[in-house]
Amino acid sequence: MAARPPRSLATEGIVLRRRPSGEADATLVLLTPGEGRLDAVARGVRKPQARLRGHIEPVTRSRFLIARGRGRDVVAQAVTLDAYLRLKTSLQALAAAIYCCELAERLSAVHAPQHELYALLTDTLAALDAGANPEGSARYFELHLLAVSGYELQVVACAACGADLPEAEAFFAAGAGGILCRGCRADTPGRLLSVRAQKVLRFARRVTVAEFAALRVPPETAAEVRGALAEALRAVVDVEPRSGTFFESVSRP
Amino acid sequence: MPESLATPEPIQRLIEALHRLPGIGPKSAQRLAYHIVRTSPQEAEGLARAVIEARERIRYCSVCVNLTERDPCAVCADPRRDASTICVVEQPLDVLAIERAGVYRGVYHVLHGILNPMEGVGPEHLHIDALVARVKSGNVREVIMATNPSLEGEATVMYVQRVLAPYPPRVTRLARGLPSGADLEYADTMTLARALEGRQEL
Repeated sequence: MAARPPRSLATEGIVLRRRPSGEADATLVLLTPGEGRLDAVARGVRKPQARLRGHIEPVTRSRFLIARGRGRDVVAQAVTLDAYLRLKTSLQALAAAIYCCELAERLSAVHAPQHELYALLTDTLAALDAGANPEGSARYFELHLLAVSGYELQVVACAACGADLPEAEAFFAAGAGGILCRGCRADTPGRLLSVRAQKVLRFARRVTVAEFAALRVPPETAAEVRGALAEALRAVVDVEPRSGTFFESVSRP
Repeated sequence: MPESLATPEPIQRLIEALHRLPGIGPKSAQRLAYHIVRTSPQEAEGLARAVIEARERIRYCSVCVNLTERDPCAVCADPRRDASTICVVEQPLDVLAIERAGVYRGVYHVLHGILNPMEGVGPEHLHIDALVARVKSGNVREVIMATNPSLEGEATVMYVQRVLAPYPPRVTRLARGLPSGADLEYADTMTLARALEGRQEL
């Protein structure tokens, strides 16, 4: 006889999204390290005195006890581990955090371990909370999100033939998985990437989010990097992240 | 399914219409639709007339954007209200809640929503431009942000604060902290932190 699945799940998780449902309930989208993305209903949390209310705000890392039934998972208990309070006092940092959470939701697997993605998101939120540059943090998250989701961008060698790349302006083709050498370029659609932008992308691969966010990048290079990563994400996620427009709009001085 | 067992087309259309209402799931829509068709014709007609009348006679107040039968609304037209203090709320129902408290004598501005970037609700979907226009044109001294104490509410407060920064009125927000009757033991980090920030001398 097959073993019955456990009736409850104790896990920590990040609330990626919260949607109102029913009279006073909310449906949460959680990212957990061991179970990946999962939806769970939090009963009665829209009432002012609901005890769970503050522990299940989006962009909050909490410890959950989730009751698993035949139908939907239900949040039985939740205790905040990190509310990222400082991040939530800056509009730009908050917009970056929401954007990262939306990307994590779109690229995470349901009910499958997501340890790397979980660690990436917690590191990025912690860096934003510590005052890291929101734009740099978001770019770092995008690049590493692609990598942990199995779409690592090739920025060191040619994405098609693996040949070393000379230190010169290079051709970036998001659909091909990164930079292409002259020989492999042919009619592939893409964009030119300056040496500086390539260096920024390579640097992001080997440092922490806080170190990358501290890097001072000239605006034109930042725009190149932003454009290349946006194209790479578009090639993977069909739909444009909704919170991206808001993040860009509040990032403008 | 045999044709004889299928839901009759007019009831199906009613179910679909009811299902589009907020908070009404498919089962509730079905129950309501079957309830409506079982009521007397007069009762059903009364309901339909009430919907049509409300939709036809209710409009937006040209000043505060609240829903009203007369423009400007009763609050905006009342000379006893303090027009130099604007309380910004998410929904018309929030106006009723604050009025019930009976302590506020200023006027309102209804945003008709809240910033929710993940759901695609940006500043362009809210009546923030109308608020800025009011602040620019009138002698407003204070703008009180009375959005819900949620992440989206916080984002809205910070955004409005940013767009009103070039103008003279001070921007304030409702106090945040523990609701009356709450257990300290179950309070979350954010509520406790805000409650401590907003502590008052006795």
